[in-house]
Amino acid sequence: MTSPHRTEEAEAPARAHGELLPTASARRTWAVLGEGVRRTGWNTPLALAIVLAGSAAGLVAPWVLGRMVDDISQGKGLDAVLSSALLIAASGVIGGLLVGLGGWSVSRVGETILAGLRERVMDRVLRMPAERLERVRIGDLLSRVGDDVAVVTTSIARNGPDVVVAMATVLLTAAGMTALDWRLGLAGMAALPVYVLAVRWYLPRSGPYYARERVAMGERSHAMMGALRGRDTVRAYRLEDEHEKRVSERSRAAMDITITVFRLFTRFGARLNGAECVGLTAVLVVGFWLVRGDLATVGMVTAAALYFHRLFGPMMFLVVNFNEVQSAGASLARLAGVIDLPTEREPGAVEGPAGPSVRVESVSHSYGAGAPPALDGVSLSIAPGERVALVGASGAGKTTLASLISGLRTPTSGTVRLGGIPLDELGERRVREHVFLISQETHVFAGTLVEDLRLARAAATEEEVEAALEAVDALEWVRALPEGLDTVVGEGGHALTAEQAQHLALARLVLADPDVAVLDEATAEAGSSGARRLEKAAAAATAGRTTLVVAHRLTQAQTADRVVVMEGGRIVEQGAHADLVGAGGRYADLWRNWRGSPDEEGELLAR
Amino acid sequence: MSTLAVSAPPTERPRPLSDTPTTVRDLRGRTLRRNRAHVAAGVALLSLHQVAEALVPVAIGLTIDWAVVPGDARALTVCVVGMGLLFTVLALAYRTGARFTLRAMENEAHLLRVEATRRALDPRGERSGLRVGEVLTVATSDAEQAAQYVRAWSVAIAVVTAIVVTTVALLAVDVPLGVGVLVGVPLLMFLLRFPAARITRRSEAKQATAARATALASDLVGGLRVLMGIGARADAADRYRLASADALDASVGAAASNGLYRGLVTAASAVFLAGVAGVAGWMALNGRLTVGELVIVIGLAQFLAEPVQGLGMVGQMFATAKASAQRLVRLLNAPDALTPGERSCEGEPVLTLSEVGYRTLREVDLELRPGELVGVLTTDPRDAEALLELLSGRAEPGRMSGTLTLGGVPMHELDLEALRGTVLVEDHGSALFEGTLRSNLVTGAEADDERLMEALRSAAAQDLVSGHHDGLDRPVADRAANLSGGQRQRLALARALLADPPVLVLHDPTTAVDAVTEEAIAQGVRAARTGRDPARATLVIAGSPALLARADRVVVIVEGRVHRTGTHTTLTEQDRHYREVVLR
Repeated sequence: MTSPHRTEEAEAPARAHGELLPTASARRTWAVLGEGVRRTGWNTPLALAIVLAGSAAGLVAPWVLGRMVDDISQGKGLDAVLSSALLIAASGVIGGLLVGLGGWSVSRVGETILAGLRERVMDRVLRMPAERLERVRIGDLLSRVGDDVAVVTTSIARNGPDVVVAMATVLLTAAGMTALDWRLGLAGMAALPVYVLAVRWYLPRSGPYYARERVAMGERSHAMMGALRGRDTVRAYRLEDEHEKRVSERSRAAMDITITVFRLFTRFGARLNGAECVGLTAVLVVGFWLVRGDLATVGMVTAAALYFHRLFGPMMFLVVNFNEVQSAGASLARLAGVIDLPTEREPGAVEGPAGPSVRVESVSHSYGAGAPPALDGVSLSIAPGERVALVGASGAGKTTLASLISGLRTPTSGTVRLGGIPLDELGERRVREHVFLISQETHVFAGTLVEDLRLARAAATEEEVEAALEAVDALEWVRALPEGLDTVVGEGGHALTAEQAQHLALARLVLADPDVAVLDEATAEAGSSGARRLEKAAAAATAGRTTLVVAHRLTQAQTADRVVVMEGGRIVEQGAHADLVGAGGRYADLWRNWRGSPDEEGELLAR
Repeated sequence: MSTLAVSAPPTERPRPLSDTPTTVRDLRGRTLRRNRAHVAAGVALLSLHQVAEALVPVAIGLTIDWAVVPGDARALTVCVVGMGLLFTVLALAYRTGARFTLRAMENEAHLLRVEATRRALDPRGERSGLRVGEVLTVATSDAEQAAQYVRAWSVAIAVVTAIVVTTVALLAVDVPLGVGVLVGVPLLMFLLRFPAARITRRSEAKQATAARATALASDLVGGLRVLMGIGARADAADRYRLASADALDASVGAAASNGLYRGLVTAASAVFLAGVAGVAGWMALNGRLTVGELVIVIGLAQFLAEPVQGLGMVGQMFATAKASAQRLVRLLNAPDALTPGERSCEGEPVLTLSEVGYRTLREVDLELRPGELVGVLTTDPRDAEALLELLSGRAEPGRMSGTLTLGGVPMHELDLEALRGTVLVEDHGSALFEGTLRSNLVTGAEADDERLMEALRSAAAQDLVSGHHDGLDRPVADRAANLSGGQRQRLALARALLADPPVLVLHDPTTAVDAVTEEAIAQGVRAARTGRDPARATLVIAGSPALLARADRVVVIVEGRVHRTGTHTTLTEQDRHYREVVLR
């Protein structure tokens, strides 16, 4: 008995334990960020200069207030008070202008850099060499283009300008206090070590907790998603209590960690309050002695105290958001890692393929060193317009051969030629123009149906799209959709059946109109009647093309020009369907099994 | 009022249905009621914290007045000690108060989450009209957002306290000045609300376009292998670039209104401060205020902006919590999808359909007795769906004609336990859960390894265990993503066989396996379900000749009607239509 696997099973482990994408070093991350900054030209320094100027304008008010206190103590007239008030108002208006402009330009610069970054990342991911794509974990890719981009986006969009403004405020206020009197500035600095200690106390403690919290929340949502998505099954097997209990347990576990993390955070907050207290007291005490020694005026001390009070907000903001900045940094490093991936090779050969013939010349292939060969010295040539069906049990090497012919993998030894030219000389892009693969994976792209189909040919008119659907006998159901071609399908849209998704894949093939088609689709998921319809559609879509079909159902082999039977990575039989059935070999066995009757009844049916 | 007693948060337990909040108001009320100790303590302490914050500028002014101006060292000592005390109170009040509030909020979110999950999983089903994805959102993020009521209330009360205290302090310094400040600040904030509303709208639009770009990226990457196969990666990159550019435009637009707002707030507060400083300075000149009092007034005027802005934030929190609470209430109060009866199934579990019409089905007669294995062949998938809905008890009696009985009792009169304990429908799309092979297989009573292996063998799935070093404890990922389609299908079948229900309905159990395995499964199912004591009944809705050949008889449904009934052998011999459909 042959192994009861399908080819997809043989490959599943390789995909589940694929390799992770690289993460860039801190230096490389800065360099990538630096490239982005440089691309904005003078906009970045300009934005920073405006923010600094805005913060500087904010220093005027406390300073003027301090002077006003002195004026009043010295008994100066109403003029002095009024001019102080006017100065505050004027500096406020200018400051407002600068702060607004600064915030906007910092956001704009940040968002532009970010947009450039995410587009580069996506470009790299989309242009990843096929070989590599087969090895990476899709989950890892998804988290880079999804989560990491989202983390960096939120931190730049929400906090970016605030962080820059707060930093400018802190720096300039410290400078302002020092300008009043260096001793007052120094007194304010007394808070700094307390802040540093607080952060150094908090970060190493909170890090592991945050990691655990993320894990716990992930487990909670897994439990909830599993139960709710599969709720029909949960009900059928009367598993409601078990799943509810699991959700409840995980929810409680996540809640406990959240509360623990927050407890730590509030202790951190108390330490920050301590820093504020130390700094403010130091300023007042030093001010007291300075006034006593006639080294400073009451107004200067007032101004210094007001300056310091003004720092509470921005300091708290910076310190509390330190974490977020760090996690944005981690995401940034993961994005920068993607940017450094190599891209697909560009065509080396000058000439294109001469005609749609395919030749496989003594090709062997194994997945990784030491692994048993998936293909072992296979040679096969397919004439232009010929329709060849690959037949065999799982692990026979059908899918491997299909992926070598479509250029998704490079054989360990041997050559695959398209129109006489080796695939690796043609380069990936050129191969894609001629060879079209429908794999076992189906994906309906989110968006309208017509957008999905236009992926195969961007310039296709609505009539052409309809003609393609008509060709694969799908126009009828498409027209019956709520909004026909404009129905939103895919994630979050109108749900299509497995059969309909396959129809779309075939319509894309018609639109792309390639010379060579490789079909490795899992028609069986559509059920037997659906599979028959799909087979008809596939035959229509591939008419006149050089076609290689991985036959999951033997009816697909029945209608092919030639059947190639594989076993253990080798070709063991080939010929026309009728001849092979008559020959009574391996294929005849498979065919009898497929016709699906126990042996004695099989005899009956053969009559 | 500050009841600091730390009582344990209420634990969840099955609640009578009468406790389910029917309106947003009910839900809000229940939130506060069942967390009252924590909420009360949190509110009291957070208010104290706000008072302390308001007193910081007062303390600065007093220190200048009492110590710095006269140069009094003893007064300075008193002030320093006082400042230390103030900050101690401030820090402790925040630390404890925030913890109480968070605890109440987390507890409420937890309770709502579990409650929503329970409602969504209820065997009677629900007719909320929410799609599966939406139900998931309600149970996860809406449960969390609705719990924000706790925080919104705490912050609202604390902020109001801060405003009251500031008022009192200002009035204590000087009545007309205090009144002026008190009218001015809220007026200012009120005026600034209009641009703020615009900002909220723009930033929502921004978030939406950013989310669209991210969703597009995930979708394209999810279909990356497909894109590669069809040579559409460059087009996909262009599509993403457009979406990203849209997101950038929206972000920059939002940043512009944000910047405008930020600038307005800065300028307006400065102008207001200038006014206060001018008036207070003039009063100080006249001797109506001391220098310290001048500092206090200016400090308080600056501080007041914070709680007033906080009030604006609270409004937003209430709005978000309310929107989420509405969706929660809708799910919790959704009518049941089915109303089971109260009769039990005492007789032999014979399943009988007599002249049943439902959806696409017309006058279908079918009988399934214990000990039998019956095949059903449908040419239209909708017929199979309708039949599955009927047999799993999901069909509304009102939309059905004819009679459907189990053990002589009309199906809709059976109680839920009787129905679910007798009939198990293993649908083609049934779900597997995160855990291990064992945890997925065992759904009822504990079973020993031998029985588990037997079930796996019957489903031709023993290779799941034998090829793996963890054996039956082999991990299964969420949605069994680490298994192939064929493995998932066989594992689900093994689960159904192990559950060993009196009546088992299988739907297309072999679509993802090859012909040889299909054959093994057909043998395994027949062996596991027939010739047993007590006798088991099995209905297989499938187009697989291997399975149909094992059935005692096959019912062929064409265009919703029973077209023919007979054994696989006779049907293949005598019925051309059957031959065409089944013999591929």
